[in-house]
Amino acid sequence: MRYMEISKLQRLLDLLRQQGELHSPVLGDDGVTRFELLPPGKLPDLAAIRTQLPPKKYLLHPQETILTYQADAGYRVPLATVPAMILFGLHPCDLAGISYLDRIFLGDEPDQLYLSRRAALTLIGVSCTPDEFCSCRLYPSPLEAWYDLFFQQSVDGIAVSIGSPRGAELMKILDDVMEERELLLPEDTRCFFGRKIPLPPESELDQGLPEWQVLAGHCIGCGACSVCCPTCSCFDVLEFGGLDGSSAERLRRWDNCLFRSHAEVAGGMSFQKDRAQRFRYRYRHKYRGFGQVKGVPGCTGCGRCRAFCPAGLDLRALAGKLEGDAS
Amino acid sequence: MCIPDKNIYKPHLATIEQIIDETPDVRTFRLVFEDEAVRDSFSFRSGQFAEYSAFGAGESTFCIASSPTRTGHIECCFRAVGKVTEALRRLEVGDSVGVRGPYGNSFPIEDFYGRNLVFVAGGIALPPLRTLIWNALDQRDRFGDITIVYGARTESDLVYKRELKEWQERSDVRLVKTVDPGGNGPDWDGQVGFVPTILEEAAPSAENTIALVCGPPIMIKFTLPVLEKLGFGDEQIYTTLENRMKCGLGKCGRCNVGNVYVCKDGPVFTAGQVKAMSQEF
Repeated sequence: MRYMEISKLQRLLDLLRQQGELHSPVLGDDGVTRFELLPPGKLPDLAAIRTQLPPKKYLLHPQETILTYQADAGYRVPLATVPAMILFGLHPCDLAGISYLDRIFLGDEPDQLYLSRRAALTLIGVSCTPDEFCSCRLYPSPLEAWYDLFFQQSVDGIAVSIGSPRGAELMKILDDVMEERELLLPEDTRCFFGRKIPLPPESELDQGLPEWQVLAGHCIGCGACSVCCPTCSCFDVLEFGGLDGSSAERLRRWDNCLFRSHAEVAGGMSFQKDRAQRFRYRYRHKYRGFGQVKGVPGCTGCGRCRAFCPAGLDLRALAGKLEGDAS
Repeated sequence: MCIPDKNIYKPHLATIEQIIDETPDVRTFRLVFEDEAVRDSFSFRSGQFAEYSAFGAGESTFCIASSPTRTGHIECCFRAVGKVTEALRRLEVGDSVGVRGPYGNSFPIEDFYGRNLVFVAGGIALPPLRTLIWNALDQRDRFGDITIVYGARTESDLVYKRELKEWQERSDVRLVKTVDPGGNGPDWDGQVGFVPTILEEAAPSAENTIALVCGPPIMIKFTLPVLEKLGFGDEQIYTTLENRMKCGLGKCGRCNVGNVYVCKDGPVFTAGQVKAMSQEF
């Protein structure tokens, strides 16, 4: 097995940097760990359990222009020029999050903006030790965690698995810092992924369940759970007309199903008038999926929504009750 | 990975060829694609929908209300109730709009060959069925009896008034039109009463018949039991739903009813499928 001593990490990062923009979890001066450009000389924050925002921000920008319009030129699509980028230090839950988004945005009718960014990404996973907010062991995601390389941390170094042809190519470049070792890894954390949450009949998602009201009563509707979720990808579309009257710009931005506006239609009508209904929708979308991810639970167990909810809400307790506790 | 040239969110430009005021706030556009290649290649099936853009205002979702048997243009019909539809309403003949689509599933019209058709519509929900009505009438000999039960709150709320007249005069169509009590003027020559009641009185035979229902949820709620009473099975009844959409492509994540996306799994559903979504509906 290819193995790298931890003392060679800085050298490895320098080699990776030659292949593209290197981004990884970086501990900021404010004490928050974020995925961002890793400056030369700085080490990634591999001890952090979770970044504040998941890596979806690289694929779906919080807000972006999807179309422009000019009266004399019609609709134009902004050109996406995407530099090669390496994401280093993705935990299995975040890799699973990206593979979930791939299903939505690359599966039938690919989204061009997403695809151009996704094609430029090299994904390097790193193993981690779950904390009390993580539920990757309790509700393992059935999603494949697609990666190019996966780094399994052990006592004094890192064991490397290759997950794609691109990963294999990259390993040739990294060969300088690698050695061959016979290793018996204590636990392969990649195999958190593979079990499926049993889906009970639709009727059990009864809208009369008191749990919806209880959750709704505590929720303050801030939207943090969706912003920090690696698989939440609902978007709103906004259009702004230019003051010249002959141009327009169409934007999309992250949306949140707990916002009243999410299900509002023309004339102020709404398909999900109260918060309990919106919770039920969130639960359904997250654990049951629609469209390209129908039947695929979209919770990767990263624990962000639970860690960041100011009201301390936890949808997983409900999942445990409804889907049969997998622990 | 290869990057597709096609951007799925980019609309085609279409010129408004004709505007028809159906009611004081409902308007029909007849649209012609500006790009000749698009005009020639655009094809759709009855039941599919499209996204229509008003520049600077945004996009809105409506069915394609014309029949695929009438080529060279498409028609849509909308009520001016929101930002986009108000902006569309300000447009004039010769102006451009954006159109992308067609999206969603469609009525399986081939399965209806040789059968009787009963259309049941309320208010502004006639356009989603009107595409199929003309589709069937344009190949009339493929179908048995065709019955149309259509109602609105008042006479003025009835859409496609000129076509109602045409259907009324045709001997191969049975049109039963109605308005809610109090909605009739002195010259009204139709029924007075709510659609489900009038449908029950009209009592079309369920034998070898497909029922196609579209209307406000309250109308559908009371119409389904009437059809059941008349002997229609769940798989003999089709409806078409709508919901808030931003993309039409299963990505923006908001048009679910129950466990389905209206944009990908619909908009056309059988009564059996709608009943499975029970509580949402």
